[in-house]
Amino acid sequence: MLARIAHELFWLGRQLGRAEHTARMLDGIYAIDLQAPPDAPVGAQLTWEGLLAVMGATDESERTEAPDRDEVMRLLAVDANNPSSVLACVEAGREGARVVRDVISAEMWEAVNTLRLGLYQHHLSGGFGTGPYEFLQYVKERCALFWGLAERTMLEDEARAFLHAGGRIEAAQMVVRMLRVALAPFGDEVADEVERPARDGQALALLHAVGGLHAFRRAVTDPPNAEPVAGFLLYERAYPDSVAASVDALHTALVAADARSRTAAPVLRLARLSADLEFRRRASRSAGDLLAVLGDVQDELALVDHDISDRYFAGGTQASRVMTA
Amino acid sequence: MRFSIRYRTEYQYDAPVADNLNSLRALPATTPAQRCEESGVRVDPEARLIQHNDYFGTRVVEFGVSRPHDRLTIDVRAKVETSETPEPPDPSWEALATDAYRRAAAEYLLPSDDEPLNGALDGLRADARGDGPLATLLRVSELIPDRFEYRPGVTYVGSTVQDLLDAGAGVCQDFAHLALILLRRNGIAARYVSGYLFAAPPDDSEDSIEVNTHAWLEGLLAAPGDGAPVWVGIDPTNRGRAGTQHVKIGHGRRYADVPPIKGVYRGSASAELEASVRMTRLDSGNGAAP
Amino acid sequence: MATEYTAAPYAPADGFYDELFDASGGARPHAETLVSRLERLGAGELAAAGRRRDAIFMQQGITFDLTGAAEAADGELRDRPFPLDLVPRILPADEWTVIKRGLAQRIRALNRFVDDVYHAREIVEAGVVPWEMIVSRSHFARPAYGIRPPGDVYCHVAGCDLVRDADGRWKVLEDNVRTPSGISYVLENRLAMTRLVPGLFAGYHVRPVDNYPALLLSALRAVAPGGDDEPTVVVWSPGPANSAYFEHAFLARTMGVELVEASDLVVRDEVCYMRTTSGLARVHTIYRRLDDDFIDPLEFRSDSLLGVPGLMRAYRAGTLALANAVGTGVADDKAIYHWVPEMIRFYLGEEPILDNVETYLLSDPERLAYVLERLDRLVVKPTGESGGKGVFIGPRATDAEIAAQAELIRADPRRWIAQELVHLSTVPTLDSSGALAPRHVDLRPFAVFGEDISIVPGGLTRVALRPGSMIVNSSQGGGSKDTWILDEEVVPDGRPLPPRRATVPPPLPDLRQSSWTGQQEQQQQERSGG
Repeated sequence: MLARIAHELFWLGRQLGRAEHTARMLDGIYAIDLQAPPDAPVGAQLTWEGLLAVMGATDESERTEAPDRDEVMRLLAVDANNPSSVLACVEAGREGARVVRDVISAEMWEAVNTLRLGLYQHHLSGGFGTGPYEFLQYVKERCALFWGLAERTMLEDEARAFLHAGGRIEAAQMVVRMLRVALAPFGDEVADEVERPARDGQALALLHAVGGLHAFRRAVTDPPNAEPVAGFLLYERAYPDSVAASVDALHTALVAADARSRTAAPVLRLARLSADLEFRRRASRSAGDLLAVLGDVQDELALVDHDISDRYFAGGTQASRVMTA
Repeated sequence: MRFSIRYRTEYQYDAPVADNLNSLRALPATTPAQRCEESGVRVDPEARLIQHNDYFGTRVVEFGVSRPHDRLTIDVRAKVETSETPEPPDPSWEALATDAYRRAAAEYLLPSDDEPLNGALDGLRADARGDGPLATLLRVSELIPDRFEYRPGVTYVGSTVQDLLDAGAGVCQDFAHLALILLRRNGIAARYVSGYLFAAPPDDSEDSIEVNTHAWLEGLLAAPGDGAPVWVGIDPTNRGRAGTQHVKIGHGRRYADVPPIKGVYRGSASAELEASVRMTRLDSGNGAAP
Repeated sequence: MATEYTAAPYAPADGFYDELFDASGGARPHAETLVSRLERLGAGELAAAGRRRDAIFMQQGITFDLTGAAEAADGELRDRPFPLDLVPRILPADEWTVIKRGLAQRIRALNRFVDDVYHAREIVEAGVVPWEMIVSRSHFARPAYGIRPPGDVYCHVAGCDLVRDADGRWKVLEDNVRTPSGISYVLENRLAMTRLVPGLFAGYHVRPVDNYPALLLSALRAVAPGGDDEPTVVVWSPGPANSAYFEHAFLARTMGVELVEASDLVVRDEVCYMRTTSGLARVHTIYRRLDDDFIDPLEFRSDSLLGVPGLMRAYRAGTLALANAVGTGVADDKAIYHWVPEMIRFYLGEEPILDNVETYLLSDPERLAYVLERLDRLVVKPTGESGGKGVFIGPRATDAEIAAQAELIRADPRRWIAQELVHLSTVPTLDSSGALAPRHVDLRPFAVFGEDISIVPGGLTRVALRPGSMIVNSSQGGGSKDTWILDEEVVPDGRPLPPRRATVPPPLPDLRQSSWTGQQEQQQQERSGG
């Protein structure tokens, strides 16, 4: 297929993947943040600072005061000038979908288009005044609808493989960044009595934020503290939003898309990463070790990203220009 | 008297059943008036037997057969020796009002949920009342066989006292239940007793007979002085006090507290039940001990 | 300065304690911020939030079905969204501290009592509680005799109903140590409030409640019989027809354990298993949501199809923990309630922190006569029931009803108790027009007893939605409120942030679309020939 089309599909997948993950994160953390910090270590907390760090949306070093809940919310949900905001991602995704309208099914196109229209309506009607819940819920539902329609109505061909590849690499990178932020402040050293509950709280917030609390409860018997949660989100292949599951799915998608996948650089790199995750899964799960793994995985994913654009998009991502929504 | 008792129950199912769980209250008790020398239970198909004493002090043997089967036999054997009980005390009505008596009486004074409606028993209750509690006990054991016919097949295991009143006839279980109410309503604590009765012909010609499990009751009489209240057995099916032919298994507030066998199984098969109790005297003049 | 709700000036009901406004109509200090926020939102915005709430609750299936005459007239049972009032109830930290200590004390004593009743009977020997009173309770469980559960914990989950009288004093109205329900609404209410009216939280430090499932799960694990290293916990529900099925499923889901029904469980020898696709799997702890009577047809009601035959064998053998333990019903009987303050003194050697409501036992003939004379002023309750069943409220009864009730009591005085009428406190509640009006409330906090007693901050506030009504049961027109326990330190706005640490934000991949710039084309210039 055309490299340009493949490229658009890949980015459509990424944009929607990012919109959905951001919406989930905002929704999960917002409810927790309204209340006082928990008195039990199993409670949840994740600061808005942490969230900004995940999104890399601002330059933290220049900030002198703590970010305000409403400000972060606006920045990450509806700020059209922030290319990572939910609104901007949806807008960009919809532009991409327009380009590939003939490749994706009509229903998928409608799902994306309605999502964009709906967001503007929510945004313009001031639906935010009484809280972001419905706005974010709408994004989650529409994204799920889009992916569901892709399963049901789209030919299982190269095009679908690139769409999925985009969605999965975005999911993997988002979750890795979230985990790094949640674990990072506490570093390698063994957390003391004060720090430990805080870190555990962040881990629980992450589970809320990716919508994985229920799955975690069913799959893991340990309490939802930092290490078990990070291990789960990183290694648990049975959980579809874990890093390992996303890496595998990305690998599968590229194998399907690439006629000569056995010699393809991104495919080989992903196969190594997948095996590596399986190997490390059995090793130590101290916070420090997990952080080291997360760093490696993030680097590898960046290289995979590079490999993909090199091999399939004729290196197109290197020549970019700013497109405003 | 010394007896050997063999209580055999066989269930035949018309289709295989599984997870057949049963509780057995069939082993003779050891009390001041009787001593259980040995006892044993065998079950076929074989199953692990678990034993405990329940709230009322009755020995309970439990087992479960999990694999499919279409027949279950339960074989209980025991040797027991009974002895005469001392003469019962003959307290006044007032003696039943003490704290010591009420504490010993506990739940055995309480009405149960399935008693006949108010009024239906007022006549019988008044007729049963004697000069004192002991006289009342004995009177109840006479009054019931006077007024009701012993006739199997009229009532069933779940019958209420109202059913007995309606039919005018019943079996030992019904008689005991009625007696309990009459005594309790007269302020005498009373408890249901399950056991075996050696109902030999009066001429002592038989040493080994086929019987059924039997039911009678015990009433609580205050003892003179500081003595602890005493449970006195009466048998309203056979009139008078329970004696050495009565082998007690256990007691409770009513039948449901001491059923000989209670069980459930998985499956909708229906069962045919065959039960027999054989009691053999081991110490008779005929020397027929096996 | 006191703030007034401008939509319609709020008038606290005379003779009752209002928790947000004082008698003069001014907001109490802890309520000032809330009242001004409500004012800012206004009646219209609140009504809109109410509509969103109903839609969300219907979508999520957080409903209950009305039973009763009104519904029968409709001809069909219909699910209604659980009525959550959007005005929260706020309790300052110091008040909560007292409640929490009082409840923990009470539950500890009740737990000791259950243990005592089925073993040593010390409290009877000491002449504090008469034995006949205990054995006459319908929930006295003879099959529990002599069984000692792990850690001597019987009341793993407890929910006491608290009310406050006209003077604002807290009193215990009822103990629930069998299968108290309502915790799922506490958690769902909080979540809904953060979604519907997040603005109300500003300026308050509300203590979260969402760790309940984790607390419960760790308590259920802690009491599991030893041996295997990974105990299996299940929630046992009587099934979808049960009115609390939503909660059963909620707890199973949030704890990540199986929700079982009787047919899933089987006892082989002395061990309980559940049937799974890969065969029988051992079960260690059952959080059961049905009464003793229905758990094992071999030992309790033989007509119960809900039960698991042989369950008591496993329980007696100590291979299985049941939560709550078998036989706890004897402790939350309404006649036994009368002795709870005595139990606290007897077992713990402490003075009760929370008071009982004045209660009259009717087994005493003098008391009985006294009560029958004053029936029109008293509340009468059947002793073995819960959930407001069979409750008679004298001041609201007709002469005929009073006579009928007297007849019932005379027939069996032991089955009834009488209590002085409590003047339930009020909390402002939105009426249908969006205005605030006083409505009566009670409070059911939830405690979990594992290795220790933990109490979830707040609890279920039930509110009688009909003006003047003091019946808070949801089956009889009651609703609920989110209950806010404030942290010690109240922050004017926003929350303090933890000390900042240097985090290096990982680089974000550039999501901007790349362009495709065409290679400069070359004009075809070659000429043929020349």
